[in-house]
Amino acid sequence: MRAEADKILDARLMEPPEPFVLTMEALDTIGADEKLLLLLSREPHPLYRALELNGFAWQTERTPDGTVEILIWHKP
Amino acid sequence: MQALLTFDQAPPLAAPFRFFVTAPFFAILVGVLVLWVGPAAFVSRWTPAALALTHLVTAGFMLQVMLGAMVQVLPVVAGANIVRPLLVARVVHAAITLGALLLAAAFLSYEPLLFRLAVVCLACGLEVFVAAAAYALLGVPSTSATIRGLKLSLIGLGVTAALGLLLASALGWSLELPLLQLADLHLGWGFVAWSVALLAAVAYVVVPMFQLTPAYPDWFTRGFSSAALGTVLLWTMADLAGWASASALLAGAVVALAALFAGVTLNVQRRSKRAKFDATQHYWRVAMVSALAACALWLAAHTFFALGQWPVWPLLCGVLLFGGFMSVMVGMLYKIVPFLVWMHLQNVGRGRLAAPNMKKVLAERSMNGQMAAHFGSFALLLLAVLWPVWFVYPAGVALIVANLWLLRNLLSAVGVYRQYCLKVEALIAAQAG
Repeated sequence: MRAEADKILDARLMEPPEPFVLTMEALDTIGADEKLLLLLSREPHPLYRALELNGFAWQTERTPDGTVEILIWHKP
Repeated sequence: MQALLTFDQAPPLAAPFRFFVTAPFFAILVGVLVLWVGPAAFVSRWTPAALALTHLVTAGFMLQVMLGAMVQVLPVVAGANIVRPLLVARVVHAAITLGALLLAAAFLSYEPLLFRLAVVCLACGLEVFVAAAAYALLGVPSTSATIRGLKLSLIGLGVTAALGLLLASALGWSLELPLLQLADLHLGWGFVAWSVALLAAVAYVVVPMFQLTPAYPDWFTRGFSSAALGTVLLWTMADLAGWASASALLAGAVVALAALFAGVTLNVQRRSKRAKFDATQHYWRVAMVSALAACALWLAAHTFFALGQWPVWPLLCGVLLFGGFMSVMVGMLYKIVPFLVWMHLQNVGRGRLAAPNMKKVLAERSMNGQMAAHFGSFALLLLAVLWPVWFVYPAGVALIVANLWLLRNLLSAVGVYRQYCLKVEALIAAQAG
């Protein structure tokens, strides 16, 4: 997933709602064909709903060290 | 991007907040009662004043925070939607507030009518809540330790309430019941099967999330709530059957389980990735250390005869226990309240106005100041148990100050919410005009 990302946001050491706020700010800056990779310690269910409402698609993977990686891009 | 953060299932802000804002009033009443009764408040756990104080803390302060938190947690964490949450919250809140006040007045006066009225109010409030929460949880699969823990703690609340109502009915209608035995069972269910079980279920989510710690260990989350409920149930059966040795051993196991939760939590918290502890983390640590101390004191008093004969130990144990619970609850409020205000404002603005930073909803300085006042009052209460004549009045005053300060902090968060809503309304009116 990391190879596909144009921008990486590591929010593993952040407390809610900072990861949410910074993700939304970062999504403002990515281009139509760019992808943002968000790194978290847990699955962000509320974020998924917000992404859906705001026209984004995403793909989630869990790495062996417990990190949840979410690759986000604009829906075509 | 001012995105809409839609927790589809989140109840309106007024549903949990009415409980949270009411809680400090009960702690203030505890302080007033301590001042009114004076050193006699700490003579024994069975005096009318001590029973009134205990229930102002448990059926007042603690129940308000715990039910308020459940109204919020059930839908958001478990996906268990309470039908008409605001109506349920209004009815339950009014009934348990009045019920707890009547119960405290009943203990102070031993007036049967007050016990009867307290029974009616508390039964109404708690039955409505347990029924609404159980109905919401009915179709929810137990896919996580938190959901399983919430379900089991609800059983704990139901039994605690049933035993409490039975006891109050015995006093209200002069029923012949083994009051002291039932009171210990009521305390055991309320302490472990309800309070610790609920705290643990919520802790699995909020401790790693807000304190930046690793997750609770699997071996613990998998079995803790079932072990807690099962052990309390076995102890109750042994106690009611009159098997003294088995009952004593099982009571020890119940206390040891509570101590295990405190120990595991301290160990998880020790590995927090945050460089400097915030108010919530300090509150949790003090709460867990005082819970461990209460459990150690209980086990020691039941092991060493001389200590068991010391008349002060049950009161000391009670203050450590309830002081600990109050600490962890204030610590949780300092995360839940700003987060909920921020989350609701995120939606109120509808993209027109950015929600204020969470740190501005409740300033760190106000929380730290209140925390110092709270720990001061806790320390003075412990000293008041040992030397009532010297410390009871400073303890009462300190408790009132700490909880007026808590109330001010909570109301300031509500104020931020209201001001922002007014700003949005003005903006909409200006745009329409």
